[in-house]
Amino acid sequence: MAGEAVFRQEFPVKGGDFAKAGAVACRIKDLLKELGLDTPVVRRAAIASYEAEMNVIMYAWEGRVKLAVSPSEVRITVDDKGPGIPDVDLAMTEGYSTATAEMRELGFGAGMGLPNIRKNADAFRIDSRVGRGTHLEITIHANGHKS
Amino acid sequence: MKEKKHYHAIHITKDKCIGCVHCMAVCPTKAIRVKDGKAQIIDEHCIDCGECLRFCPHDAVHSHTTSFAALDAFAYKVAIPSTVIYGQFGSASLPNEILSALRRVGFDEVYDPSAICELNTAAIEEYLNEHLQPRPFITSTCPVVVRLIQRRYPALCGQILPIEPPREIAAKILRTILPRALNLPPEKIGIIHLTPCPAKMVSINSPATLEKSYLDGAISSRDIFPQVLNALKKSQDDALMRHLFPETLFSGIGMGWSLSGGETRGFKNLRAVAVSGVTDTMRVLDQVEEGLLQDIDLLECTVCPDGCVGGPLQVENRFLAKSRILQLVDAAGDRAVVDHKDVSRLYHKNFLSFDHPVTPAEMFPLDSDPAKAILKAQRREKIFGKLPRKDCGACGAPDCWTLADDIVRGMAHLADCPFPKKEKR
Repeated sequence: MAGEAVFRQEFPVKGGDFAKAGAVACRIKDLLKELGLDTPVVRRAAIASYEAEMNVIMYAWEGRVKLAVSPSEVRITVDDKGPGIPDVDLAMTEGYSTATAEMRELGFGAGMGLPNIRKNADAFRIDSRVGRGTHLEITIHANGHKS
Repeated sequence: MKEKKHYHAIHITKDKCIGCVHCMAVCPTKAIRVKDGKAQIIDEHCIDCGECLRFCPHDAVHSHTTSFAALDAFAYKVAIPSTVIYGQFGSASLPNEILSALRRVGFDEVYDPSAICELNTAAIEEYLNEHLQPRPFITSTCPVVVRLIQRRYPALCGQILPIEPPREIAAKILRTILPRALNLPPEKIGIIHLTPCPAKMVSINSPATLEKSYLDGAISSRDIFPQVLNALKKSQDDALMRHLFPETLFSGIGMGWSLSGGETRGFKNLRAVAVSGVTDTMRVLDQVEEGLLQDIDLLECTVCPDGCVGGPLQVENRFLAKSRILQLVDAAGDRAVVDHKDVSRLYHKNFLSFDHPVTPAEMFPLDSDPAKAILKAQRREKIFGKLPRKDCGACGAPDCWTLADDIVRGMAHLADCPFPKKEKR
């Protein structure tokens, strides 16, 4: 990204705000379309940012989604203040979920969130500290061919 | 303005337009601007949904549908009405009477659409059972939804279920059999759809999935209403006979097709979700684009409220029309009039399929050069920060954000905003 033009924007996300679920992902995907990124790149960024946004809404108290777009890549960084994830490897397992019965009733919490983010990203980093919060870094190459 | 590239059914009558902002405010794709005191439609963004037509208080938005006089070009005139028509004439008029009234107003033959709707449901069910991915599939019945996906949700083009809607299937069947049966050259036979929807003209004149539409035109429910009403009055004496000797057996599965959820009512083991209204349709398509709803087999989207029964060109208010159609659905029950084995044979001959898949429309990023697009996006944020965020429309754009967007695209100027711009408080 160094030396290139970068478009940056930050979006606050409130924990428990299910009524706004998907609003940030929607803004991100509209922006990426306007910036002229290829359809598959936009779709992957939309899916990854939706999952990341939902993780904040479902589990954290508050968070920020930061978008940085350059001609070569899309980077989505999410920082939340929340309970953190005690066992990140376990949380990355498809189907593993700590969602409550209420969340599942709403159709959330299938345990696909983090694995789905990794699947749609070209690079993915996660740091979590119990009792403090979680940091995600999602990178998608603008001309990537990941299926 | 650029020369129009796309065919549209929705147009603005300049003489009647007073340049108010009603149409611009309701346009779901922000395709309208008011310039020089008149509303203008941006060709590339318009999806022909008809919201502007519904809301214009000055009757300045009109739709191009086929005129009754245009039928004179054909030696044999066939009507394929939408099932919406059964809800237009109150509860005293039975479907058979309505079909025969249509014959009286000048059609040589009129076909009941409910059977073809049932056929379509069966074909969709078969397609879904044969194709387990992707999910959800989206129905193609509403031409506006197809155009919306092409323009705003290009990633979902491949999720449009590639079976033609009933109006095209009906016309294709008749195109195949009528020339032989009547011993007439095909071009002498006019096959006309009767519809409350202006966008059907778009799907006929520039089809998204066919080389050429099988229909010759579409007459608006509004235009044909007075004649049919008149014919119904004249044939009141015959009504009892027609009740006793119905010519057509209606499909209970197809009868409710024009109501939201009607397309999927006949499904047995599939999960379908029906969405209606343009705002809700866009909300759900956003979710599908974000990877949701993958546990749903079929998404039925219609941009008119309550389904086609809420079409902008219908006459009866949609609540009464809906109530009437529900009565008819109840009366017909689960009666099936189509043999699924026959549908399966047609389906496997690809008779019901699209000629080609839906392809994305041209996209309009801020700039074709990604680096310049990023700079323009940055500039747009700065400009937006200077605007009052009242979304009053006085500048000629529907809201402040769109004005900022228009400015960086070179279509407007900051000075278009009539509010004095205060520098940083």
